[in-house]
Amino acid sequence: MDLFANLLMGLELAINPINIAYLLVGSMVGMIVGVIPGFGPSAGLAILLPITIGMDPVGATMMLAAIYYGSMYGGTITSILLNTPGESATVASTFDGYPMAKAGRAGPALVMQAVASFVGGTVGVIMITLLAPAFAQVSRSFGPPEYFLLAAMGMLTLVVMIGNHWKLGVISALIGFALGTVGVDLETGQGRYTFGSPDLIGGIYFIPIAIGLFGLGELFYAFYSGMHKSESGGLIDYSKEKEFWPNRNDFLSTRWTMVRGSILGFVVGVMPGAGATIASLMAYSTERSLSKTPENFGKGEMAGLVAPESANNAASSGAMIPLLTLGIPGSASTAVLLAAFIMWGLRPGPLFMGQNPELAWGLIASMYLGNVALLAISIFAIPLFVQIIKVPYRILGPVIVVICTLGTFVVHASFVEVGLMFAAGIAGFFMRLYGFSPAALVLALVLGPLAEQALRQTLTISRGSFGIFLDRPASVWIMVVTAALLLILPIMGKIGSRAGKAERAGG
Amino acid sequence: MTKLNTTFKTGALALLVAAPLAVATPAIAQQYPDPAQTLDWTIAFGPGGGNDIMARTIVEILNTYDLYPGDIALENRAGGSGAVGWGYLANQAGSAYGISTTSGSFITTPLQADTGWAITDFTPIALLAADDLVLVVNGDSPIQNLDEFIAFAQANPISISGIGTVNVDFIVPALFAQEAGFEFEYISFNAMADQITAVLSGAVDAMMSNPGEILGLIDSGDLRPLVFTGRSTPEALAGVPNFAELGIGVEVSMPRGLILAPDAPAEAQEFWIETMRRVVETPEWQAYITNNTLTPTILFGDDFRDFLANTQEDFATVLREVGAID
Repeated sequence: MDLFANLLMGLELAINPINIAYLLVGSMVGMIVGVIPGFGPSAGLAILLPITIGMDPVGATMMLAAIYYGSMYGGTITSILLNTPGESATVASTFDGYPMAKAGRAGPALVMQAVASFVGGTVGVIMITLLAPAFAQVSRSFGPPEYFLLAAMGMLTLVVMIGNHWKLGVISALIGFALGTVGVDLETGQGRYTFGSPDLIGGIYFIPIAIGLFGLGELFYAFYSGMHKSESGGLIDYSKEKEFWPNRNDFLSTRWTMVRGSILGFVVGVMPGAGATIASLMAYSTERSLSKTPENFGKGEMAGLVAPESANNAASSGAMIPLLTLGIPGSASTAVLLAAFIMWGLRPGPLFMGQNPELAWGLIASMYLGNVALLAISIFAIPLFVQIIKVPYRILGPVIVVICTLGTFVVHASFVEVGLMFAAGIAGFFMRLYGFSPAALVLALVLGPLAEQALRQTLTISRGSFGIFLDRPASVWIMVVTAALLLILPIMGKIGSRAGKAERAGG
Repeated sequence: MTKLNTTFKTGALALLVAAPLAVATPAIAQQYPDPAQTLDWTIAFGPGGGNDIMARTIVEILNTYDLYPGDIALENRAGGSGAVGWGYLANQAGSAYGISTTSGSFITTPLQADTGWAITDFTPIALLAADDLVLVVNGDSPIQNLDEFIAFAQANPISISGIGTVNVDFIVPALFAQEAGFEFEYISFNAMADQITAVLSGAVDAMMSNPGEILGLIDSGDLRPLVFTGRSTPEALAGVPNFAELGIGVEVSMPRGLILAPDAPAEAQEFWIETMRRVVETPEWQAYITNNTLTPTILFGDDFRDFLANTQEDFATVLREVGAID
């Protein structure tokens, strides 16, 4: 079969010692840029891009791609240990990862996130190998109407994020939507709430907000509750040394979560523009709806960590599909890869895989190896990272402030964004104190502008008619699936909770 | 913290391109450039973008051909769509060692925000290339050429997409529509990816784009090029007519050039004009132009400054008409 011949050829290229070296360098760099909050894979890729000018494109592509998916492994580490997402795609991993670390289960959380990342990444590559042409059709049928529906579907997950205090949750989401309106209006070119500041032309980027709300907000709360006064105790009571490895139940209870998260993540990752962040948030809320114990989500439920982790890694594989099959970048990071291809004089597009089989299949094969390498690196590095939480909080606290500040600054070198991050930190503290939902705010900030733009584009195209949503097959499909999910999920949730109660009653 | 350090070192390595050591000769007072002075090269955008790649290509050529005797420190000073980086250069008024590459935002950012500098403040060196556009439709579209496009647009409502509104992507079709006598809805996108799928999915009728990123889709027949907006069609689009050939008088493009700080000494301006004359002759520069499907458009010194001012005025006129700027 062609498929296996191609994959074999790719593997032969990837197993060349020089290419393996490039792959390992890429994986390590990816882990590191992932660990630093704010400093994302696209920035890491862009900085290394100029040094690939004279390199062999096959090895260079393997290295650059490894930075991208490697950062998905690294980004979770600070999410779990410090409640500070290292990457936009790992925001959802703070929801249950950090409570788990606080409860003394940092080791199992870190190991399970590495395993989930590995499963997500590998399922993603398998799906690329088998289904690339089919998914290319999916991604090319997406226009503004479909993006609007996708964003609307994402907003349904807000209902889950809002949590128990629904009034406070709705207010949080509305603040997020309001922040999302800042910036130059795409359609008219007029500045909205930019006050003439060049830094706000592009709108309020959600990374500084997420770092502030989660990272600094949590830090302020820790000081408020007097954690810095304790002499020896670190951030977390880490007395259960023996519980470094996850137990059998951690694996068994989340095996289907990983599969569901991987498939969902991959499908969302294939849509250009949706990406790993939305995939991870959707996976989290889907898993919570399906769970037998939804009340444990947000308090350190393993499935709540595994779902977004498998999804964001699968999504980073999925984003390769539009890049390889259509020459369309699905994310900021794949846009840098596209720039690299063009810089080397290649022409990404539908003919790309046929014209450059070595490059395309070498890349795909290297992704199998890269995920294995990253799993090994993660497991090897976790004992080192776990030491962080043994550092007394009065020392760790200032370090977190420095990391959050630097991480925000390096993204766009903007002092305005650093200011926004600190403001979000203070807001995050009060939100935490009074039971608001920072997660709903961040999700609204991500989805609001997306939905607004897509809807306005759609209605400009259709000259104001909503009939366009019914004219396009892809958009009808999305509506059908959404409606089906709306009907099925609550029913399954009910059955689940009934079964859960029965189990507990029986046990 | 060691992790942090490592990354910063890697970053610094990539950011600093050290020029080969010049033979140490004692500096003579009037001579420019003084090899003991470090050239402070501002890139007003982050690494990996169009402006960044152009700056690094030029520095690579300067080093390869020994065209600049001193050290060159390349620094990405991103922020505010270029306002931060060019603001940094504006603050070095009078210096002979502050330099920067320009791109489209050099013209559009001052129209959108209060930058504190004007494009005419800077000392112009040279316009090196222009980003021209190609108008494409979906490969399945019944529209085969520009005449059919105009006829269709005059008879039916049509939508054309582009990136952003305060941009050539909007200004070029607006001027073209005026001249050809049709009306269209402009659909503005933030990112290339969303825009391409909008055309491929049939949601949008046509799009304005830089050719570089869509050549693959043109080769495969998924997108059909109708017209190139520059003065001469690049090799990669051979066979596609251009505005000049068709006698359409729309001459707006995004200039890519090189500027010094405001009020830089005349000998510095002279030196750089002469140096850039040699840079544009090198095969490396030709390869850069071809790979990025740019139009080589070369103007030096004050001609470049006039070009910038005229282009900005053209932009402002069109944008004021549609109400995008005050």
